[in-house]
Amino acid sequence: MGVITIRKGHDLALAGVPEKRLENLSRPLEVDLFPSDFRGLKPRMLVREGDRVEAGSPVFFDKRFPDVMFTAPASGMITSVIRGERRVLERITIDVDHRERFREFTRHNMDWIASLGPSVIRDELLSSGLWPVIRQRPFSVIADPGKPPKAVFVPAMPTAPFAPDILLQLEGREEEFAAGLRALARMTGTPVHVVIHADNRSPLFSGLGSVELHRFRGPHPAGNVGIHIHHIAPIRHREDRVWYVLPQDVARIGGLFLSGRLPVEKVIAVGGEPLRERHYLKVRHGVRLQDILKGNVPEGPARIISGDVLAGTGRAPGDPLGFYDEVVSVIPEKQERDFMGWLLPGFRKYSVTRLFPSGYRGMKSASLTTSMNGSRRVMIPFGNIESVLPMDILPTWLIKMILARDIDEMEKLGIYECDPEDFALCSFVDASKMEISEIIREGLEYIEKNG
Amino acid sequence: MSALRSILDRLGPHFSPEGRWARYAPLYEMVDTIFYTPAIATSSAPHVRDAVDMKRSMATVIIALLPVLLFGIFNTGYLAGPERGVVWQIQTGLGAVLPLVLVSYIVGGVWELLFAVIRRHEINEGFLVTGLLLPLTLPPDIPLWMVAAGISFGVVIGKEVTGGTGYNIFNPALVARAFIFFAYPSEMSGDAVWSLADEMTRATPLAVASSLQGADGVHLIEQAGYSLQQLFIGMVPGSVGGTSKAAILLGALVLLVTRIANWRIMAGGLLGLVLAAAGANLMAPSFDNPVLYLTPLHHLLTGGFAFGLVFMATDPVSASQTDRGRWIYGMMIGALVVMIRVLNQAFVEGVMLAILLGNAFAAMIDYMVLRQNIAKRQRAYAKQ
Repeated sequence: MGVITIRKGHDLALAGVPEKRLENLSRPLEVDLFPSDFRGLKPRMLVREGDRVEAGSPVFFDKRFPDVMFTAPASGMITSVIRGERRVLERITIDVDHRERFREFTRHNMDWIASLGPSVIRDELLSSGLWPVIRQRPFSVIADPGKPPKAVFVPAMPTAPFAPDILLQLEGREEEFAAGLRALARMTGTPVHVVIHADNRSPLFSGLGSVELHRFRGPHPAGNVGIHIHHIAPIRHREDRVWYVLPQDVARIGGLFLSGRLPVEKVIAVGGEPLRERHYLKVRHGVRLQDILKGNVPEGPARIISGDVLAGTGRAPGDPLGFYDEVVSVIPEKQERDFMGWLLPGFRKYSVTRLFPSGYRGMKSASLTTSMNGSRRVMIPFGNIESVLPMDILPTWLIKMILARDIDEMEKLGIYECDPEDFALCSFVDASKMEISEIIREGLEYIEKNG
Repeated sequence: MSALRSILDRLGPHFSPEGRWARYAPLYEMVDTIFYTPAIATSSAPHVRDAVDMKRSMATVIIALLPVLLFGIFNTGYLAGPERGVVWQIQTGLGAVLPLVLVSYIVGGVWELLFAVIRRHEINEGFLVTGLLLPLTLPPDIPLWMVAAGISFGVVIGKEVTGGTGYNIFNPALVARAFIFFAYPSEMSGDAVWSLADEMTRATPLAVASSLQGADGVHLIEQAGYSLQQLFIGMVPGSVGGTSKAAILLGALVLLVTRIANWRIMAGGLLGLVLAAAGANLMAPSFDNPVLYLTPLHHLLTGGFAFGLVFMATDPVSASQTDRGRWIYGMMIGALVVMIRVLNQAFVEGVMLAILLGNAFAAMIDYMVLRQNIAKRQRAYAKQ
């Protein structure tokens, strides 16, 4: 099969890349559930403070889709349920048991999975709490179990800064990964597209009978699922649903069916300049960032991000790792004000543009901080934005139509194919410092409500 | 330096929304960020940002304009007294050109500031470019009050009434020049205006090319003593910045290498010029018009085409903003320049009008490209 080559984009050379050295994080004492990890969720609690839960037993569900359960990633006691303004559920904390108990699901062997009924697979995913790993485009929300997709995507070539290597993510879970793909294909009856890097020769991906394998090549965002969908099965309209699942979550689905237990661990990469230890960690779902960074406290003021620096969310150390996040990035929170900075040659400035000498030498490890590096100005179309967006989308106009709240034009310009994460590099390179990702997010939210 | 920082920090609160000088916040922002990179931190993803900002981008354009400006200063002095020494020539040039630049910056800057305060937006660095572009397109001898009137018109009517920087339809510097051109034609055309000293008057190469009906424009230029090499170096009469194609080429290289200007506009402009000039050459034997004989190279090396294409047509705001649109827009300007030069021999310089027309059509070109993109998407969807 041919290789799809992406030319536009940029691989951020961020300092503090995690070494490929996998360590196990000891079992945390407490884990948290953050309902805000799930876009559009309307949670209703099923347990109360003081209740005991097993790993895999339901904690809350989604009022919009009552079948979709959210389950505990550890067994223990619910110690606190925190609600914010207007009683919005903010955080549920579980005090983890010393000897964990797992809720038992039916075990299957590899060959049975292909003969399970689609509804059996679906119900098992819904009740085990694994359903939320399946998200859908447009809108990047948890998949609607009642409406089948036209295709399922598994983006298995992460290109985001610090993203963990795909082979290390799945090491030792090859069988589970294959089983998960089989279950997804069986459940949806639609093609499952697995996208890997053009140079990936791992046997892991060669023997997967039931899927369509695609190869991409190019700089970030070539690994983003939105780019894959755009090139393979573009989203035509609102009801044109595509589902996508991260590779580790595919392995968790497989693990659920093979072992009869909810798999509760994932491999993440931890990196960033202010950290001493930059490595891979196998962690529990719901683990707090401070536990991940235990003994590895950032030097100096720093921002801790759950996810990559381009699309992740800044969080407090006491907050848990995001449900979908596979990276913890730490960057210096530096607000030094350079004298006449715009006039200096800037040999150490990081820029995708050719306006700094560093742009010509190839940037090895420029240090990037949380600085905006400029002030907000009106949009001047220098072409920076277009140079990092590998989609047949005209970003300048899409942005204008979103700001004008013109739903008709937004649809025509292809907003359903868009996701904030695919536009993160656009925000990064914009000389007028517009929050382009946020604008795309606003546009999608507006059209989701009013479209 | 920390003394300056502490003064700025002490003044800062007064310009905050609750401060007593809140109205003048844009002024403070300007001064503050000229001296120090802003202290703003990212509040949402992406958490890191490129080092590029508007100041850097516009400063790069200024750097690209420096060779043109420096040569313009020298050439102004040189034309006033070719026999005098270089020092005298530079002094004379400075004496003529610097006042133009200063008046343009000061008067334009006051308008810019006024609108920023009234309309509560930031002061935009784009003005630094506009304010320098205008004097470079003028004859060195022009009265200063006309520069003031021109830049006022350019900034207010050309830019601020349509919403300010980023929303202007026409390139403000060109609007300013067009205003001066039409309001005070005697100061902007003819042979006398291009030199400081009246006794040194010499017709511009383009004026020469159109001076005799039935003749060959190329011959006319050669007879007047303008070789191609001279035209390229640029020690010939013309607007302050427009004569030296060598200096313009340097500026073009800066703009292209830094990718501040879009290469498609420049390439499209050249292509349009070559095609139209070749077409004109074919028609030349059948008509009396001497300009029809000018080769593409002559068109490129005479008049203000090169300057306009490199520094004014490429203004990202008033140009087309789609890649395909940029080609069409550039070609249109290149072809229009030749057409205007051929058809309008009274005012043989056509670049200003060609670019203004291009600006007027830019949005329409983009609209077409946009509809194409939409139609293509819909076809692709239908196939799926």
